[in-house]
Amino acid sequence: MNLKGKGMKRQLIIMMLLLCLIFPVSAVAGAALETVKGHADRVMEVLRDPALKPESAKKIKKDRIRAVSVKMFDFAELSKRTLARNWERFNPDQQKEFIELYRSLLEDAYADKILSYTDEKIVFGKEVPLTEKTVEVRSTVLRKTGEIPIYYRVILKDGVWRVYDVVIEGVSLIGNYRAQFRKILSNKPPESLLETLRKKVDKG
Amino acid sequence: MEEPQKGKTMEAIHSFILASVLVLCPTSLPADTSSITADAEQSRSAGTFTAPRMLFESAVVPAVAAEIPLQESSPVTETYVQDENTKSVSAQHADVEEKEAQETVSVESKAVNEQEEEDGPEIADPLVPFNRVMFHVNDKLYFWVLKPVTQVYSHIIPEDFRIVFSNAYDNLKAPVRMLNNLLQLRLKAAGNELIRFLFNSTAGIGGLGDVARDALGIKKQEADFGQTLGHYGVGHGFYIVLPVLGPSSLRDTVGFAGDRLMYPLTYVSKDVLPVEATVGIAAHEKVNDTSFRIGDYESFKESAVEPYVSMRDAFVQHRKKKVEQSDPISKKR
Repeated sequence: MNLKGKGMKRQLIIMMLLLCLIFPVSAVAGAALETVKGHADRVMEVLRDPALKPESAKKIKKDRIRAVSVKMFDFAELSKRTLARNWERFNPDQQKEFIELYRSLLEDAYADKILSYTDEKIVFGKEVPLTEKTVEVRSTVLRKTGEIPIYYRVILKDGVWRVYDVVIEGVSLIGNYRAQFRKILSNKPPESLLETLRKKVDKG
Repeated sequence: MEEPQKGKTMEAIHSFILASVLVLCPTSLPADTSSITADAEQSRSAGTFTAPRMLFESAVVPAVAAEIPLQESSPVTETYVQDENTKSVSAQHADVEEKEAQETVSVESKAVNEQEEEDGPEIADPLVPFNRVMFHVNDKLYFWVLKPVTQVYSHIIPEDFRIVFSNAYDNLKAPVRMLNNLLQLRLKAAGNELIRFLFNSTAGIGGLGDVARDALGIKKQEADFGQTLGHYGVGHGFYIVLPVLGPSSLRDTVGFAGDRLMYPLTYVSKDVLPVEATVGIAAHEKVNDTSFRIGDYESFKESAVEPYVSMRDAFVQHRKKKVEQSDPISKKR
């Protein structure tokens, strides 16, 4: 009995080792897609939850989606890449505040939009490696009148895949904000940009 | 009915390509972003923008410089054709057509991606004052006219009917997509559009239903003449905000006109379809189309810090992607 158990254990270990040898790449490669898909599924669950259907539950919905977004996005990375070379012009405190303001701006702007989605379907395609640590996860939102390609660019940090850019129909979110922020920062100091963002976020 | 129209259209397209090549200088395609960025870097460090040549050749200037109203300079009329593009186009195009434009991502494109992280695609904007006014006009047009009209419209017409209208308008544009796919040598896509047009016009009862997609799984293959021009190396020229139609460029405005030449209703006699009717149809199409995207513009505005810059950048990025998709070989994206 004991011997048999040992043998089985060994067999199992060998099998697992073999499996690891055969599927190492695909196992790692699928991780980014699975992570993004998992977050998207959770958002869809919140949107479709019949208990949250009434208008009064809107706030609960928003909070739950926000909870997912915090796990889904790497706002620090997103901010850094958005400001690109202007990032260095911000001191650490300003950088911190920028990340917070930018996050609120994105949440305010897209929360209502996402809440308006009900019967849209998301189909996840494949993932395309961009660099060693970044991957593009491709998805399509199916609407009644057409399809919208949405690509998530994710980065691996501390073993976790997090989104740092969303590309909708070829338009990169951080690229678009970079153009806007660059316009402001071209003749104004970082503090003015922060002030603009503060006003914008307060209003929303 | 199809044949003479097609001949006429093809003729028109040829003259259009010729005209546009004369008007716009062929520019470097996005593959050369590195050199463009270098150019941009130079002019930025120089602090001044005194290179009309760059404006018409590369169509890419730093946003900072683009904000400075430029002195009128006549477009350079000399033309040169990028042999690299034309060669690759005829040689390998057909067989790789099987693969979707997005199927493969080459290593080089990654480098370009990383490069763009710093300097996204940009566009010359010498008409800033005019464009900003137009942007404002279109904004008011949306909130004061288009949105209220659309809201009443979608209140009256159920969604299912609006989808039927949408399908019908889309079907009318199938020849435009087919011809542009053909011009871009995307033969499979052109074939798909032909099948879609024939199938949806008959089994789909004049395009009221998208039977080709629902029953045969053949999807729409978007293509337009601005994209076709871009495919052959024609650059944007400069940014222009058109009344009602919104963000565009010199190239894409020519493209819009080209698409109208491929549009079947353009060739319906004035006796059958008077000008008022054509305008009415276009207006209805716009309202019907907008009924599916109420809220999009609002959230765009809410999300933007600099709406004008945001829209211009989105336009350039979107169109760049379209041009890249039209050429699966050299760009492989």
